[in-house]
Amino acid sequence: MSAASSTLVAAPATDAASLALRARARNLRRRRLVRLSQAAVVVLLLGSWEFFSRIGVIDEFFFGSPVGIAERLWDWAINGTAYGSLWFQIYVTAKESVLGFVAGVVTGVILGVALGEVPFLADVFQPFIKAVNALPRIVLGSIFVMWLGLGLASKVMLAAVLVFFVVFFNAFQGVRSVDRNLISNARILGATRLQVVWHVVIPSAMTWIIASLHVALGLAVIGAIVGEFLGSQYGLGLVIATAQNTFDANGVFGAMLIIGLLAAGAESLMALVEKRLLAWRPASAADSSAKGI
Amino acid sequence: MASAVGIEFSGVTKRFVSPTGEVMTAVRDISMSIAPGEFCAIVGPTGCGKSTTLTMAAGLEEPSAGAVSVFGRPVTGITPGAGFVFQSDALMPWKSVLANVALGPTFRGLSKADSTAAAREWLKTVGLSGFENHYPHQLSGGMRKRAALAAALINEPKMLLMDEPFSALDVQTRAIMSNELLSMWERTRPSVLFVTHDLEEAIGLADKVVVITAGPGTVKATFKVDLPRPRGPLQEIRFHPHFLELYQQIWDALREEVARAYARTATAMPSGAAA
Repeated sequence: MSAASSTLVAAPATDAASLALRARARNLRRRRLVRLSQAAVVVLLLGSWEFFSRIGVIDEFFFGSPVGIAERLWDWAINGTAYGSLWFQIYVTAKESVLGFVAGVVTGVILGVALGEVPFLADVFQPFIKAVNALPRIVLGSIFVMWLGLGLASKVMLAAVLVFFVVFFNAFQGVRSVDRNLISNARILGATRLQVVWHVVIPSAMTWIIASLHVALGLAVIGAIVGEFLGSQYGLGLVIATAQNTFDANGVFGAMLIIGLLAAGAESLMALVEKRLLAWRPASAADSSAKGI
Repeated sequence: MASAVGIEFSGVTKRFVSPTGEVMTAVRDISMSIAPGEFCAIVGPTGCGKSTTLTMAAGLEEPSAGAVSVFGRPVTGITPGAGFVFQSDALMPWKSVLANVALGPTFRGLSKADSTAAAREWLKTVGLSGFENHYPHQLSGGMRKRAALAAALINEPKMLLMDEPFSALDVQTRAIMSNELLSMWERTRPSVLFVTHDLEEAIGLADKVVVITAGPGTVKATFKVDLPRPRGPLQEIRFHPHFLELYQQIWDALREEVARAYARTATAMPSGAAA
């Protein structure tokens, strides 16, 4: 597109190679400019936050300050938090999120595909699933803490429940919207029911399932953190709750930053997985989904 | 040749019942027979149930009354030894062209190596060597259609069912694909049921043209196409005097049905003249 328009503007250069080269150089320059501007925005925001809290326009007690947050993080990293080393808190929360994510995705996909494939099961279970789905599932966290205690299990359970419903509904819908012609074709070619599911239904539903994984990943982290709020012995959620109770704004922001980085890292890992699983899609479709994050 | 049993429809009626309980008759009392190795085209107005006859021959749908048999065996469940080419290509978009073509042998239980080897061979036959690892969306419409043909023919079907296979292609590609279909058909000579709404295509390809009435469809007339084989390019045979004669005859039978089907849709419009 940009190569085509540059042929209109830059008449002198005629050969395709130099045109392509110029278009690429322009693209690179543009991308660099975008990055620089983004950096400038960050510096401006953090700088004015720090400046206004120094001169007292912003109350540092309630809003913290960038330097204060950095100091708090440094302190945690060196001396540890009230519940042990910072790395251990991160490890606990990450483990809860990942376990919850995996458990929710696996059960969501299996049940979604099963109910999508067997209309009778779908008809039987529909009202129950709708009822549970209507419940604000966060409140289940209290039950899970009561049942499963303050340890790992209650957080994994909450994260898994949050993840399950998103993945389940997408898998179900994905299975339901498989192109009937593809199924007919496979059957005529001699596929058994299981082969149809494996070669046609699951790959076709994969687009839907993967679309749900982005949301699911965020929900897994939310589940783990909220679980820790509700009652726990370790974890970043507990660190935030403690900072809140002691009016330590820098502590809340610091823990938030760590969670954000954690989620961003997981998200980019997810994008890699998606790229690999959906390599067959036309470039334009794959692009637009990546930008929609 | 005519005495041997190929595809037999005897008094076949198909009704669909909608979820609200309404009954729609797609085809009624269809009787026809296609000999082994015969190429039969089915023409008829839109919505006359042409495609339904194909799905019943394939065993995807069961007749509500009457019976279908293929090579002497009554159809119950998916008909073994059938190939189906859909109007849309029915290629799995997430599989490479090679993997798509290899599906047939894989489903039949061949090893992966054997399936792939067979698929390579067929891709060469349809002129797609070098595109083995492309995904369907990376191919042109004509190439996708070739891949779909290879995927259907790799099982060496004794019965080939084609549902307006070339209607989505542009005119030139369509003519080329028709010629290629004929040369592939000559090789293994399956019985073919070819649904189309293009009369020229029907006469150019088939041994026999069956005209179906406006829905609910039934057989109105059957015409033998006694043009010599090999037919040669479709673009040229169109001007053969006998071709024109046949075209005139079949069109006379078809015209009335097209008008009836059109009138039915036109009554809904304010200026529906032919109600």
